Amino acid sequence: MHGTADSAGGSKAAVARARAALAAGDHAGAFAELRAAIRPQDDFTEQARIARAFAKVDAGALGLRPLKVAVLAGSTVDHLADVLRFWLAASGFAAEIYLAPYDTVAQTVLDPASGLYGFAPQVVWLFSTHRDAGVAVEPGATVAEVEAAVDAAVAERTALWRVLAERLDALVLQNNADIPADDPFGNLAGAAPWGMRTALRLYNARLAAAAPAGVAVFDLDHVAGLWGRARWTDPRYWHHSKHAFAPDATGTVAAAAARLLAGAMGLGKKCLVLDLDNTLWGGVIGDDGVAGIALGTGADGEAFVAFQRHVKALKERGVILAVVSKNEEAAARAPFESHPDMVLRLDDIAVFRANWSNKADTIQDVAETLSIGLDSLVFVDDNPAERDLVRRALPTVEVIELPDDPAHYVEALARAGCFEAAAFSAEDRRRAGYYADNARRVELKRAAVDMDGYLDGLVMVATVGGVDDFHLPRIAQLINKSNQFHLTGTRLTEREVERLAAADDTEVFHVRLADRFGDNGLIAVLILRRDGEDLHVDTWAMSCRVLGRTVEEFIANEILARARRRGCRSVVGRYVKSPKNALVAGLYDRLGFAPLGGDEAERRWSLAVADRPDGWKTHVRVAEA
Amino acid sequence: MTVQDEVMARLTEVFRDVFDDDELTVFPAMTAKDVDEWDSLMHITLVLAVEKEFAVKLNAAEVGKLENVGQMVELLARKAA
Repeated sequence: MHGTADSAGGSKAAVARARAALAAGDHAGAFAELRAAIRPQDDFTEQARIARAFAKVDAGALGLRPLKVAVLAGSTVDHLADVLRFWLAASGFAAEIYLAPYDTVAQTVLDPASGLYGFAPQVVWLFSTHRDAGVAVEPGATVAEVEAAVDAAVAERTALWRVLAERLDALVLQNNADIPADDPFGNLAGAAPWGMRTALRLYNARLAAAAPAGVAVFDLDHVAGLWGRARWTDPRYWHHSKHAFAPDATGTVAAAAARLLAGAMGLGKKCLVLDLDNTLWGGVIGDDGVAGIALGTGADGEAFVAFQRHVKALKERGVILAVVSKNEEAAARAPFESHPDMVLRLDDIAVFRANWSNKADTIQDVAETLSIGLDSLVFVDDNPAERDLVRRALPTVEVIELPDDPAHYVEALARAGCFEAAAFSAEDRRRAGYYADNARRVELKRAAVDMDGYLDGLVMVATVGGVDDFHLPRIAQLINKSNQFHLTGTRLTEREVERLAAADDTEVFHVRLADRFGDNGLIAVLILRRDGEDLHVDTWAMSCRVLGRTVEEFIANEILARARRRGCRSVVGRYVKSPKNALVAGLYDRLGFAPLGGDEAERRWSLAVADRPDGWKTHVRVAEA
Repeated sequence: MTVQDEVMARLTEVFRDVFDDDELTVFPAMTAKDVDEWDSLMHITLVLAVEKEFAVKLNAAEVGKLENVGQMVELLARKAA
């Protein structure tokens, strides 16, 4: 899991392994060791140890995207910068960080000769806190006075954004105000219109409203709340060294910002890959059945519904959903089709894979089908063994550490912050649909591409024969029992078949087909009739089991050969509509015969023998005599 | 082994970890001047690591006064007692 760093031993051992990897020149291996040993919420000593070790890793050798980040702050952020470099790497960036001198934010932005502009960053992080917001409200002030004070404070920010936009082509990351835990007015600070918390909440709302494209607000207040407002600041380190938040929150702040930057700079995750059993519902669908799984009823059933709702909301904001489950396909689909408490529906899922293959292979297949990189995928599975396998086989796939209790699934997924974005548009909302459509095209194309290989792999061998005592009953049976693949719907007795076979102008032949899986037996019967220079196909009945295997093309070749043998110039095909044979209404069109006309009930086509010197492409070979 | 010796041994491990130097020798008279990397920023990192190792919270005044190993040992030994 990401973060077994509950004890210092965990990250110390990882640092030792990372050092060994570095000594062997393996920078990627060193980074992987460090990444696996730390979580954002781990304390500062852990973060610092990992950041120190990471400083020796050549980030350029990791294949990460270079990113120049300038941090301008009214508080001490040196420790944050070191830790941020590591978490930016975890989000896909090889970052170079410029720190403006302590508490020189406005000067640095306004002075065109400041180090900021020499650095030419792609991201400018205006790391402000409630202390820097500059919201000054007198107790007892009117609502209008509060609004004026807030708007003046927001205007100071927008003025800086404008200067940065004029001078740099950079994304501005602007902190909002972390609302302080303690206030002399207590509850009134958030209850009175002039209270400091009321004013800062208004400031945060107006800041969000004022941010133009190119400015992303970093919701520092939310990070503070998640961390725990009561411990968010450590006044000892404010008084001693002007650290604006508790040092132990450093990893949480850095990772949250790195996630937001990944989303803003196009490195965000795109697709959520979901397991089914004990992930979307409780129990095993293959054993328990649709009626037996835990979903919707009971506390655990409700927890799975809540998780599905969260996933559905992700889909609606543009996250692509995929299913990768070890199950029989029909069983896996059943709850989606018929369980009344399923929130997710089959059409929410862009790629649905239920099979018994290795999940790492199946996930790779999902990425290819969607035409997105593995680093765009997030994998959710309750089974630690599957998670471990995917982490090892596909290190760029983000694997969510699901807790045992489904009640905590939502927070595990949400707090991983995989789907952060700087903005949201109607286009995002539609994106999941585009990907789903594209996945269907890719699957069709792939099916077509693979079809030739599949058919060749079948090693189909056909035997063509006439009417003999052994085959006569079977020939008559196929003619009289076939419904779907039966062009003219002819019904004939054995006696009639014998007579047609013996007549000069008609011939009857059958086809048997074997493949590498076994003998399919007698699968087709044809009755041909010569009429002058035309050879008529009076009967063509075939077993539907062999449909789509180019057996039709093989038979067409056989008809053509017989036409040539008889000196016929053309082959005439006929389709007589029956209640069940719509399947073959287009057969002659597909084979390239020219329509001769007819009506709804009966149509005819012909083909000039000379037009098809090479016949049709088929994967069926003729058996050696 | 006195309490001071034990504190010194654990402190040595913390210093070696923070300054990323397995050979670092820590002695009572040692100050920030004796370690190149021991600047005001590393001092914060060091104090936080010490707080964690000894499971203590130093007060705001103590945080700034620990730029001498001997003082640190005395303070920690007193807090441990």
